[in-house]
Amino acid sequence: MTEHLLSWITFLPLIGMGLIFFVPSTNTALVKTIALIATGIPFLLATWLYFGLFSKTTGELQFVERVDWISGIQAQYYIGIDGLSLPLVWLSTLLLFIGVPASFGIEKSQKAYYALLMLLEVGINGVFVSQDYFLFYVFWEVMLLPMYFLIGIWGGPRREYAAIKFFLYTLAGSVLMLVAVVALRIDMGGIEGMQAPFSIPEMMAKAKAGLLTGAHLPFGGTLLGMQFTTWVFWFLFIGFAIKVPIVPFHTWLPDAHVEAPTPISVILAGILLKLGGYGMIRACFPIVPSAFHEFAYVLGVIGVVSIVYGAFVALGQTDFKRMVAYSSVSHMGYVLLGLAAMTTWGTTGAALQMFNHGTSAAVLFLVVGVIYDRAHHRDLNGFGGLSQIMPKYWALTTLGFFAALGLPGLAGFVAEAMTLLGAYESALPGMKTLVLISVIGIVITAAFLLYAMQRVFLGKLNPKYAGYKDMTPRELLCQAPFLFLCVALGIFPFFLTDVMRASIDQWMATMGG
Amino acid sequence: MSELSPYLADLPRLAPELLLTALALIVLVWDLVLRGRDSRKLGYLTLFGLVGTGWLLVQQWHAPTSTAFGMVVIDRFGTFFKLFTVGALAVVTLFVLSDRREKKHGVGEYFFLLIGAAIGIFFMVSTNNLVLLMLGLELLSLASYALAGFHKGSKRSAEAALKYIVFGGLSAGVMLYGISLLYGLTGTIDLAAMGRNAADGSSISLAAQFTASPVPVAIAVVLVLAGFAYKISVVPFHFWTPDVYEGAPTPVTTFLAVASKAAGFAALLRFIGALFMAEGVEVAVSAYAQRIGLLLALLAAITMTLGNLSALRQTNLKRLLAYSSIAHAGYALMGVAVMTSAGFSASIFYLAAYYLMNLGAFGFLLFFEGVTGSEDVDSLKGLGWRYPLVSCAMVVMLVSLTGLPPTVGFYGKYLLFYESVDAGYAWLAVVAALNSVVSLFYYFRVAKALFLTTVEDKPRVLQPVLTGIIAVLAVFTIVTGLFNRPLQEWANAGPASLHIPAAQK
Repeated sequence: MTEHLLSWITFLPLIGMGLIFFVPSTNTALVKTIALIATGIPFLLATWLYFGLFSKTTGELQFVERVDWISGIQAQYYIGIDGLSLPLVWLSTLLLFIGVPASFGIEKSQKAYYALLMLLEVGINGVFVSQDYFLFYVFWEVMLLPMYFLIGIWGGPRREYAAIKFFLYTLAGSVLMLVAVVALRIDMGGIEGMQAPFSIPEMMAKAKAGLLTGAHLPFGGTLLGMQFTTWVFWFLFIGFAIKVPIVPFHTWLPDAHVEAPTPISVILAGILLKLGGYGMIRACFPIVPSAFHEFAYVLGVIGVVSIVYGAFVALGQTDFKRMVAYSSVSHMGYVLLGLAAMTTWGTTGAALQMFNHGTSAAVLFLVVGVIYDRAHHRDLNGFGGLSQIMPKYWALTTLGFFAALGLPGLAGFVAEAMTLLGAYESALPGMKTLVLISVIGIVITAAFLLYAMQRVFLGKLNPKYAGYKDMTPRELLCQAPFLFLCVALGIFPFFLTDVMRASIDQWMATMGG
Repeated sequence: MSELSPYLADLPRLAPELLLTALALIVLVWDLVLRGRDSRKLGYLTLFGLVGTGWLLVQQWHAPTSTAFGMVVIDRFGTFFKLFTVGALAVVTLFVLSDRREKKHGVGEYFFLLIGAAIGIFFMVSTNNLVLLMLGLELLSLASYALAGFHKGSKRSAEAALKYIVFGGLSAGVMLYGISLLYGLTGTIDLAAMGRNAADGSSISLAAQFTASPVPVAIAVVLVLAGFAYKISVVPFHFWTPDVYEGAPTPVTTFLAVASKAAGFAALLRFIGALFMAEGVEVAVSAYAQRIGLLLALLAAITMTLGNLSALRQTNLKRLLAYSSIAHAGYALMGVAVMTSAGFSASIFYLAAYYLMNLGAFGFLLFFEGVTGSEDVDSLKGLGWRYPLVSCAMVVMLVSLTGLPPTVGFYGKYLLFYESVDAGYAWLAVVAALNSVVSLFYYFRVAKALFLTTVEDKPRVLQPVLTGIIAVLAVFTIVTGLFNRPLQEWANAGPASLHIPAAQK
């Protein structure tokens, strides 16, 4: 069982999807049950993996499965996890599992909805465990289709526009990625005795040894005056940056978030955005480390621009969900800043920030969902005084907001502080200035969250809303695990850092930093 | 008697062609006997005959390469395309049988013409002899003209046929002129002999002509290429495509888009392979391969871009698929342009993928014509919820056409990208990649219409045969995307049997 654990985690939802097809569409209870089981078991397995089986002492890949797949191009079914991917696998199984009960309010074509949700989970988990670039790319693209339909069918009024925009943006990124992967594959294929030219760890090893320089391509190491590694770096980086999303590739995100139904927004913000950051850590920077070092400062600048710009734009929003969406842009900027610093603290901070943003963004989107289900609008200026009638809601929202704005004692603080400290001690000249500028982002983040809180919860109660019920037990249960994580990881961040440490050390060594 | 015997000995090698010819004649005569009544029987007979032909072709696949009558080469390259033609023809026959709008016309001649076109394809893909190639191409074209105008009462069908004839006649003339120049320059009409120097000195090698003065040879080659470009609808010879595809009956459009286009590609691959890349081709000729390659690469880039951009504005699904097929000709041309054996394999693989996904897409079109009586994308609105199986299968086709994993379309594109980057055409790969993004936009207009809107319930129109075909094609599209070793090996057998040496790395 344990030797195929990762395959089970990845493909169980696919079995669930297959089963759902055979359920008559009137029997929605059975569909939901299957969906709960098909996402629940992977979550339990991932939990078992996280707390029981995974060895924290090694930075090597664990639970590796490796068999030949498409022999013509030497692509392999090669999966495995290390400390960087395990927390994200766990988070994604948790989010998708919570995503099922959070979707119980959806009435329209439920069978198709849960089937697509299952397919989405296959894609996400698959990306986190893939160690073969071809496999990675296949999973990466498999995610797009269910997401398109989930936004496009169950979304808000402008869902068609948002869905195709999401699809086009991410596809534009990933086709560039594909060209880069093809180039890498050709270069790897030319290396003497290469058995697995798509293997990501193998690429890292060759890159470290200075062998991955494009010497085996017809144009040699340079094309149009630019190094092969530079081309590959930017092609891959843009592919992942669109997913993160990083300014200026972020414009699909607010639209997708605003139109998507609540559970899909939660999954989108909670885990899909992490795929971009994870992709950079796993499949971009260590493969072309020389180009990364060359452009680290540029990445830091892009990160800070995202932090500050995202926060300022969020401040100007009147739509609750749009505000939260822009806050994601701002928060994901820290990931880039932390990685650009090339220090252990910065990298750890970036990895933490990915996980913690996953939980706090989930809380924020669930918060928006709660009020939207009652009021059917999200205009921040249209509310007021809700704290008087929905005390539980207010309390949970406050906790979520504080976690998001980085209040000490909550998870967001640890990650942001580590990122900024790591960036501050970076050897790169000018990094200190960037850190100082990014502090503006923190202030603005606090400002827009508190300002939103004031407009929604404080002040005089609008009599229109007087009849609203407080949160239902189902809503509370959906929020609970994320809030718990926000608090727990704020106090005991080593739950995450312990798992990551060995892998981050190894990663830093690979990067030569 | 003794003079005839070598010919008789060669005859069994043409068994598939002979069987098809016999089938065509039987269909024609039986239709006369039936006087247009109950022409479904002819369809079943055609299917039966196609199964037999397919079986004969499989036998040939395992037999060694041979030549019949000194003209017809029976090799794996040709057999591969013949098998796909038979498969496509079988699907098209099923389409005709299940076309709900076809009942008022007598469809007997339909099958006769389809089989006739297939015979043309059979000769076209398996000859090194330029005259026989031209004959095959003309047989295919003549049958296609009649097929395109098959709806005699319909104005658009008549217009399609006329346009097709005018364009076809023109390009056939251009091509024939090119062939005559080649013949004049070399004294042979055999491609293999043109590329190499004939041992007995009966012909002047192309190499000698190239060395003496490359311009006339270049003109001749470009003129012949123009003929192929018309058949595979490459820009700037694509103008007929949307109108003909739109006007012709849908099963005919399927045949033109799939079998006819692939046959054009097969002939093109053989032409270029024999002239510029085969073993023993003189250096003076193969030195020009790169230039021809660059020309084809430019044409590929322009074709896919123009095809995709034009498809963006289409509201008619049939026209949209027509422009999409132009774009796909551009993609498939990438593999030809790189002028390597692996590139040819990639091209052949992509054509196989193209067969699968376009048969599915056109089957879907036919299905919905049967339901709504319209070809507009807008009329598909909400139908996905009423016909979930067919519509899901169509989404698989769209994903594959766009080139997303885990489908065969993605794998085919991956191979093309790989070969173009490997041959130094990185820019072409980038252009093709960006084109995929553009194509997503219009392909998913169909998905959007199907699923993103809901309409009121109406009684369902059941078309079980079509549903079955489309579903099976969708399954194949995914399975061959994930596990494609046999298909890849078949595609690799093509360039090998054209005697194109694999690149030394």
